[in-house]
Amino acid sequence: MPPLGPPPPLSPVLLAGFLVRPLPPILLQPVLDLAMMAIRRRHPGLFERFSDIQNPLLVIDPVDLPLVFRLDADPLSPRLSAVRDAGDLSASATIRGPLLTLMELLEGRIDGDGLFFSRELSIEGDTEVVVALRNAIDSVEIDIIGDVLSLLGPLAGPSRNAVGVAQGLFDRAARDLQSLRAAVIAPALSQGEFQAARLRDLEDKVDAAARRPARRPAQKGGRR
Amino acid sequence: MSAPLELVCPAGTPAALRAAVNAGADSVYLGFRDETNARNFPGLNFSRSELAEGIRFAHDHGARVLVAINTFPEAGNSGPWHRAVDSAADLGADAVILADIGLMDYAQRVHPQLRRHLSVQAAASNPEAIRFYHQAFGIKRVVLPRVLTVAEITALNAQVPVETEIFVFGGLCVMAEGRCQLSSYATGVSPNKDGACSPASHVRYVDHGGKMISKLGDYTINTFAEGEPAGYPTLCKGRFSTCGRVSYLFEEPTSLNVLHLLPELAKAGVRALKIEGRQRGRAYVAKVVAAFRLAVDAAARGEPVPETALGALAEGGRQTTGVYEKVWR
Repeated sequence: MPPLGPPPPLSPVLLAGFLVRPLPPILLQPVLDLAMMAIRRRHPGLFERFSDIQNPLLVIDPVDLPLVFRLDADPLSPRLSAVRDAGDLSASATIRGPLLTLMELLEGRIDGDGLFFSRELSIEGDTEVVVALRNAIDSVEIDIIGDVLSLLGPLAGPSRNAVGVAQGLFDRAARDLQSLRAAVIAPALSQGEFQAARLRDLEDKVDAAARRPARRPAQKGGRR
Repeated sequence: MSAPLELVCPAGTPAALRAAVNAGADSVYLGFRDETNARNFPGLNFSRSELAEGIRFAHDHGARVLVAINTFPEAGNSGPWHRAVDSAADLGADAVILADIGLMDYAQRVHPQLRRHLSVQAAASNPEAIRFYHQAFGIKRVVLPRVLTVAEITALNAQVPVETEIFVFGGLCVMAEGRCQLSSYATGVSPNKDGACSPASHVRYVDHGGKMISKLGDYTINTFAEGEPAGYPTLCKGRFSTCGRVSYLFEEPTSLNVLHLLPELAKAGVRALKIEGRQRGRAYVAKVVAAFRLAVDAAARGEPVPETALGALAEGGRQTTGVYEKVWR
């Protein structure tokens, strides 16, 4: 059975996912706890928007990583954790998409409905919980790195510099992978364009034939 | 140079309000976090304190705030709607957008100084109806339903004593707004009374071997092939099988975009342009408002309207000029 949701893009995240696959996701817990603490401290009203929903439990599935995130969006004690797969979780809903797209969504830099329309993002389960999450995170201006750095006190400045360097390396790797991808799929793209042109040509011919007035069947016995 | 048309922009959250104002909105419209407005979706809308802060921010930046209280009060329970009007007035909103005549009467009697706009939910689309709302309730502006051509809007503007506001971008509703029963029929939840068309609580998406099936209540609304652009799960945009043929019976998933018609709309005597999308995120708001700000200012200077690619934000990835350029009967 093919994996659910959009296919993963060729990106540094996908490659990093292969490398960390042997490691248990629980190792991420301190980072996730820190991120949640930072977000709750800077945006205290965020989870209040879930107050009308019972047991809001979401699975956030980055399709380019070998793990999923489990968000228990309880207004009083929200928690984010990472697990190998969502098989044993009885989640209210699941959101799937590439990690970077999910991060952009979290920071409100990209339109969630647009991603859904274009199928870059897929959702399953209780749509009310997904909509509430989208509206909740969109109601505050989350800056995930800035929020976490705010907890580091005097270390925030040097950490910010380190993040900047890492971001630069990541962007460069992403560009290199895009070039590689373009080189690999160029023959297939060329063939696809050729086939698409042939299909358009055929469609034009079919349209032209359909517009042509139907020929009357010849009447027996000639003109009366 | 003519005066630019007023750009009226959506805000579902305080962050979207700031995004709209920063992107150049003249006015922002929004609603309270309850059934008194037609976008009563989970996690959306404003508390009283958020509205107070939003009004302060908008006014500091020279923008106005219009509060949509545009659902129809439940029989015997008009309290929430009256309190919404009271709060809008007390917090200093620049206008309220109303659809129900009882509520208009209340607003006129209790808060006569509060400017009143007629919501598209009232579906007033002819001069007689609009004049009645003006004479009876002192309506200053009417939001026109999306059923009129540019020529019809021009003729209507010559006959009404109020400003007109029209939709220029976003989701389309082809039904008689304020009267549509499709969502109520499928879910028991009404856009007109409860404020939610196709409520998320009744929507399910199911992955079926790469195809995505959207369901509303017990009804299958659509099946999208792998990679096919998707739309909202509303009955009016459903794809159904009838007479052996699968097709969109009412409307295809598509978004309105009349950016290039702005000069004609200005000539038609329209006063304000409305961007739909209080349920959309602030990234949508920032991008669409910025595009229309550029276009409205260019049109006011008599310059060609700059086109901005907004297709990625459109439902189903497709855009239309709707009835404004009607080419069918």
